Amino acid sequence: MRRRGKPSDIRKDQRALRTDTAERLEAIVEAAERAAQGVIDDAEAQARRYLAQAMAEADRAAEGRSDELYDLIEALLGQAVVLRQEAERLQATLEVARERIDIGQEVSEERPSQPEGPAAPRLRAVEDRRAPAEFSPEPVAEPVDRRRGDPAGARLLATQLAVSGSSREEIAERLRNGFEIEDTDAILDAILGPEA
Amino acid sequence: MSDVAEGIGLGGTQALDERYLMRTYKRAPVDFVRGEGPLLWDAEGKRYLDFLTGISVCSVGHCHPDVIKAVREQTQRLMHVSNLFYTEPMAQLAEQLSESSLGGRVFFANSGTEANECAIKIARKHAHGRGVANPEIVSFESDFHGRSYGALAATPALAANEALGPMLPGFRAVPRSDAAALREAVGENTAAVLIEPIQGESGVFPITDEALLAAREACDEVGALLIFDEIQTGMGRTGSLWAYEQTPVRPDVLTSAKGLGGGFPIGACVTGPVAADVLEPGDHGSTFAAGPVATAAALAVLAIVDDPVLLRHVRELGAYLCEGLDGLEGVRETRGRGLMVGVGLEEGVDAAAVTADLLERGLVVNAPRPDTLRLLPPLVIDSDHVDLAVGLISESLLGFAPR
Repeated sequence: MRRRGKPSDIRKDQRALRTDTAERLEAIVEAAERAAQGVIDDAEAQARRYLAQAMAEADRAAEGRSDELYDLIEALLGQAVVLRQEAERLQATLEVARERIDIGQEVSEERPSQPEGPAAPRLRAVEDRRAPAEFSPEPVAEPVDRRRGDPAGARLLATQLAVSGSSREEIAERLRNGFEIEDTDAILDAILGPEA
Repeated sequence: MSDVAEGIGLGGTQALDERYLMRTYKRAPVDFVRGEGPLLWDAEGKRYLDFLTGISVCSVGHCHPDVIKAVREQTQRLMHVSNLFYTEPMAQLAEQLSESSLGGRVFFANSGTEANECAIKIARKHAHGRGVANPEIVSFESDFHGRSYGALAATPALAANEALGPMLPGFRAVPRSDAAALREAVGENTAAVLIEPIQGESGVFPITDEALLAAREACDEVGALLIFDEIQTGMGRTGSLWAYEQTPVRPDVLTSAKGLGGGFPIGACVTGPVAADVLEPGDHGSTFAAGPVATAAALAVLAIVDDPVLLRHVRELGAYLCEGLDGLEGVRETRGRGLMVGVGLEEGVDAAAVTADLLERGLVVNAPRPDTLRLLPPLVIDSDHVDLAVGLISESLLGFAPR
């Protein structure tokens, strides 16, 4: 059994113990605060690194997207030029056709005695539909490389590829492989504009 | 989220399937319970890399957050009212589909088959307008257009099943990519040429530019419509929003489905100007189609897919995938465009057995024909996923390649 000391001694001991405990607690708290501050500093440093990385990646992505958009705009501008040229050509063709019709009318007016026949077919995209008899069991022999020299098909392919975002190189490869066009620059320049 | 589902497990599901479902499918022994991006998990918690995406349906990956958000928001607001009324997502989606392709009008359906039914109706009515009494639709052998009777009749391999006869008359087929046979087949009675620009279900076979040009020219000569079934090839699968954009022709009508809804069922028949006004009130319809939830999902998918950067990524990754596969032991050739890839195997290598082995190894693909693996991965995968898939296919084929 422990002997109890005098009350005054006990109070002294208790005061000393309190002081000692308070100091220890203070030290522990300080150490914890230092550790916490260290963790916070580390976390902030890591966050700054992540932020810097993310910003760099975002910049790179934005740059890439800008390039894509620039390419697309270039392609669209190129097509607009082609369309304008084609419209001008079409207009010129129509002018010629109108002149021919005018001349034809003048000639027919000069020759009213021509025998009446079926009305001439109106101008349309496809004039000479094949009669059913032409679809005989005999195969219609088309050359295997019908694609060769099909500028309309090649041009449409190139235009569609450009609109769908294909690069100049991708389009050139398809034209070479699909249409056996070796010099693809003329079509590509017309659609995409001259290579920078 | 736990990868192990608290459910009845594969055995329980198989037992219910065996007792209650019609025996129309031969399923692989896996019970998938969860998907995220290019990954799937089965009921036992095993993880798989999905290079099939539900046959090109989940093209933006499983459970894409944008699609989920669109569906969730729409389901909380309004799920269905029928086509007797207007709904905003339907109109917005129609605008985007038309403006991104042929510029005409859109009819919404619930599936690709239904979209093709609409296209067939358009073709026949358009032909009657030309004075054709018995319109005919020409397709390629090995085309797959669906399983309802109209679409089935345009799917020669399945239409040959006499047990399901009689078939709808007015359909004929010519050999795949045979330009001469196609020209011969198209005549005054032809209502349309209905083809897949890249045949999918028969094993991923791109139709040649020559045959496509022949189809376009033959249709123009007689006034028939050229219809592209872009149900599998469309929505960015081949590296352009629509596969026709990488061909030298432009169809009059195209059909879309599969990837359009990102996992939500929806189909669409999109016309160019020439066929835009063929169908009139009473000619066609659907109770569920064009519903606000399905069209909201499709709008979310289009916002992801109709992006030049993503489409370029698809083209580049497709080339990278084929580069990795070409030259592997057991591989004879690779076919396709973008991330629609058929892997032709060497003679003696059973594609079905390889598919089953790959499933065991954690890669989901399918075998549309005995000598071909079909790869339809999500469009949003990266080169690491491709490397992993090529590695698994390589390892698997080592066990099957003839010595």
